[in-house]
Amino acid sequence: MPVLTHLEAVRQGIWEEMERDPSVFLLGEDIGVYGGAFKVTQGMLEKFGADRVIDTPISESAIVGAAVGAALMGMRPVVEMQFMDFIACGFDQIVNMAAKMHYRWGPAVPIVIRGPSGAGVHGGPFHSQSNEMWFVHTPGLKVVVPATAYDAKGLIKASIRDDNPVIFYEHKFLYRRIKDDVPEEDYLVPIGKARIAREGTDIAVITYGAMVWTALEAAQELEKEGISVEVIDLRSLVPYDEEAVLSSVRKCSKVILLHEDTRIGGFAGELAAVISEKAFEDLDGPIFRVTAPDTPVPFSPPLEEYFLPNAQRVIDAARRLAAY
Amino acid sequence: MPTRVIMPQLGESVAEGTVIRWLKKVGDKVERDEPLFEISTDKVDAEIPSPAAGTLTKILVKENQTVEVNAVVAEINGEGPVTAGVSVPAHEAAPHPSGVPAPPRDHEPAASPAGAPLIAPAPSASAEGAGPKIRSSPLVRRIAKEKHVDLALVKGTGQGGRISKEDILKYVAGRSAAAATTGSVTPAAPPPVKGPSPIAFSRQVQVVPMTPMRKQIAEHMILSRRTSAHVTTVFEVEMTCIAETRAQYAAEFERRHGLKLTYTPFFAKAAIEAIKQFPIINASVEGDNIVYERDVNIGMAVALDTGLIVPVLRHADEKSFLGLARAVTDLAERARSKRLSVDEVQGGTFTITNPGVFGSLFGTPIINQPQVAILGVGAIEKRAVVRNDAIAIRPMVYLVLSFDHRVIDGAVADQFMAKIKASLENWSEAVQ
Amino acid sequence: MPGLRAATIAKKVVEPDAKTLERMLYYLKLTREAEQLLERVLYRQGKIVGGVYVGRGQEAIAVGSAIQLVEGDVVFPSHRDFAAWIIRGFTLRDVFLNWLGRAHGPTRGRENTNHFGDVRRGLIPVISPLGDTCPLACGTALVQKQRARGKVTLVHFGEGTTSRGDVHEAMNLAAVWTLPVIFICNNNAYAYSTPTRQQYAVKDLSARAPAYGMPGMTIDGNDVLKVYDAARQAIKRARAGKGPSFIECKTFRMTGHSAHDAAQYVPKELFEMAAKDDPLARFEKELVAMKIVDSKRLGQLEQQIAKEIDEAVAFAESSSLPEGADAVKGVYCEAGCVWQATGV
Repeated sequence: MPVLTHLEAVRQGIWEEMERDPSVFLLGEDIGVYGGAFKVTQGMLEKFGADRVIDTPISESAIVGAAVGAALMGMRPVVEMQFMDFIACGFDQIVNMAAKMHYRWGPAVPIVIRGPSGAGVHGGPFHSQSNEMWFVHTPGLKVVVPATAYDAKGLIKASIRDDNPVIFYEHKFLYRRIKDDVPEEDYLVPIGKARIAREGTDIAVITYGAMVWTALEAAQELEKEGISVEVIDLRSLVPYDEEAVLSSVRKCSKVILLHEDTRIGGFAGELAAVISEKAFEDLDGPIFRVTAPDTPVPFSPPLEEYFLPNAQRVIDAARRLAAY
Repeated sequence: MPTRVIMPQLGESVAEGTVIRWLKKVGDKVERDEPLFEISTDKVDAEIPSPAAGTLTKILVKENQTVEVNAVVAEINGEGPVTAGVSVPAHEAAPHPSGVPAPPRDHEPAASPAGAPLIAPAPSASAEGAGPKIRSSPLVRRIAKEKHVDLALVKGTGQGGRISKEDILKYVAGRSAAAATTGSVTPAAPPPVKGPSPIAFSRQVQVVPMTPMRKQIAEHMILSRRTSAHVTTVFEVEMTCIAETRAQYAAEFERRHGLKLTYTPFFAKAAIEAIKQFPIINASVEGDNIVYERDVNIGMAVALDTGLIVPVLRHADEKSFLGLARAVTDLAERARSKRLSVDEVQGGTFTITNPGVFGSLFGTPIINQPQVAILGVGAIEKRAVVRNDAIAIRPMVYLVLSFDHRVIDGAVADQFMAKIKASLENWSEAVQ
Repeated sequence: MPGLRAATIAKKVVEPDAKTLERMLYYLKLTREAEQLLERVLYRQGKIVGGVYVGRGQEAIAVGSAIQLVEGDVVFPSHRDFAAWIIRGFTLRDVFLNWLGRAHGPTRGRENTNHFGDVRRGLIPVISPLGDTCPLACGTALVQKQRARGKVTLVHFGEGTTSRGDVHEAMNLAAVWTLPVIFICNNNAYAYSTPTRQQYAVKDLSARAPAYGMPGMTIDGNDVLKVYDAARQAIKRARAGKGPSFIECKTFRMTGHSAHDAAQYVPKELFEMAAKDDPLARFEKELVAMKIVDSKRLGQLEQQIAKEIDEAVAFAESSSLPEGADAVKGVYCEAGCVWQATGV
């Protein structure tokens, strides 16, 4: 089985869907001739032609709006945001047009908006954000955040086949750093099901995206101290696998919620409320969160390092929680 | 974000503390762990180290002012990095658990919630206010409910004595494993007695970790000593009358009731009668109050090879001599065969102990908290005594009362003992 | 300021046939009557709640353009383009059910006014952030272009809306991609209380069109035949694959921004002038002069329209309101979704 990077897995997923369904087409800046800023769409223009791989002007709002219009005509557009930070330029079209259309008068809007997000590459405030919560908070959208290469392919395919607008977050730090066995054939990963990345019994760490790897790193360290950590990879935020979360909490009785996103209004707050509400009597300790602080993402390496949650911070939290 | 310095809780039942002396003044720089102020509590005086580095910006409690445990006494403006938004910042000052104000063990300063309000919320049952609270968690409470466990009996090994999931599960497992719990002198039942953990040898010493029961006993003894103002008074009692009574009725008693007629019920009865006259002996102390117990529940100490156990004879004052005799025998038997229930080792209001069983003339027993007196019975021996200005040989016994001078004065104690003496030396009650 | 009589581009105004002319009159009068009821009767009776936005005085713009659409074409009408819905096949019942928030209306009560559409009928409504539809129009036009069946997209918006970024992005995109989309600007002189001199710095908004790379024209928006002609030219261009056009229709908003706006910021003289320029009156007069209709026929039309409206209103009023719990259904498109059940 071939070993692919996270990026190559996304690429293969898109490629396969393009081959499979002629209504799938791509729009984005520099995706055609250049193959995409991160080369996700490399080779696709040559293979599928200019009608299906469209280089756009710098008009995020118009690109998203055009995608919605095309979707209403029966197409399945996949919009690339060069950096997910720029999704803000198309915010109105996403949250007011795409998200609400179906609810309002019934048509499906099967668009995917995808792109690289996240920090750790010294990108500064506008090339490093994790802004998924803007869209988690907007009813009508789905939000998908794969952590592994295997999931990246399965989930991009599932997202493209989904009849709803899907915001698909790839992590630029993971793009070339993680590899996985990725089957060459057609397979899907269902949206809304979590994955147990690591089994454990003492503390459940619930997380997504790049932080799944951080959690695994911490778990390995903690194993040596006799603290058995279970890591749950959510894989998607809307919908998310509530049952998997609660099941892990009930098993371990102690939980750490981890994300690279900033703290206030981060997904951990939502999970903490649900856990407290639905698994209160299964908790043997308070619910801990490990997140980035409430600041923009800073540039200079020592600042960015401080900003980002890392394995050590997860380890510290786990030790405290274990001793509670 | 400023670090709040709180009045720590030194001792489980401690509810307040007094600031004796500030070692720093407002505006001073202070290092983490540097002594910041001195306090005095019911239990202990201590120097409290600073929970964070920075500048002492506010002193909220003056010297000689008394505040509740966990009250904020000062503020330190941190020099550390902004911790807001960071649950577990790599650069946070305090390495020890923050955000979890534990009621620590003796002499261990409480970890104050340093400027990381983002970790644990205040524990739900932290020991503020009077009286010890049991710290646990929703999960533990649910298990306790499902398994009918009184959390007061479970020893907590979590922070600040919190009962963790492990603790209660161990307790439940031990409870079902052993037919009867091995109680202890403390109200809290320990987990089942285990053998000592592996032994470590060096050239000159042999280190044996204490069993849980031993630990409990050790703790209670110290606690009792620190709680009560122990005074001991000794009375010599002539047992002729009792001896003759025994001699007269023993066989019949055994035949009729299947019980050996020992000395114990006589002592118990005498004590009960005396308690009726001197109810202060049957009281306890709560803060500034004396709490008179209505029930007379006599604890009868029994020596086991693993330690001491005190089964309690409840409502002893309502029992006849026969009833007492039966109960005493039964309790002792079941104590030795480890078949006592949890109820039977708690709730005592007065204790009788018997150092004489191994030959001691008299002891200076330690009061069984939260009681205020304990009666020790020495060995009954024939001694030469003076009667009518002549030497006579009589069976004599030293009875000892250790009492809490906070609430019982010597005169009262002595009168109590005099009554017991009189009862024993002039026994007229039926023994049937 | 309404300098309303701008020159037409063509030397000769191409007139539609008599049947079409009468149809256009019917739609104009239907619009005027229906909107009169919506704005000045039902709303004031409390039977319509929320907001009411009508296109009084601007009816010619929708009628003159939409009447030329065929199956496969798409129109994005604004809230001032009532007739577009009827022309594309919605019924008055649909309209009133929606305005009155009924359960069996085209939005199940989830949207107000004319915020409903039908992809099969080729009508997509605005959302309240106006201007957002312009990029969508580029999207539908993109697909139409790729399918190469000569279909076109019309998108309507007001002069105030042209100040929004989405309009500019869309115009640029349409020109760069040579899309068959016609941008129709309803310049009714006021954006809420903002007159045009505070909205933009050019004389005619059509001046912007060549700046983006497409032809533009400014016409008298109250002359339905002029609208028809301008639209015909732009549609022909688009069907031939020659790309987008921009048509600025100058008109006047003969009422408040909405039913709750008395428009006291508008000088009374302007209302008086505009009344004299009423597109309905003008067209009626013209058709009578052309002997397409006579006063008897007019009377018949009016009666027919009144009957249709009354029937539709009565139907809507007696129709049930939605169940509260319906609010949480149909957020996502999935198997068994309420929308699929109703076949929208």
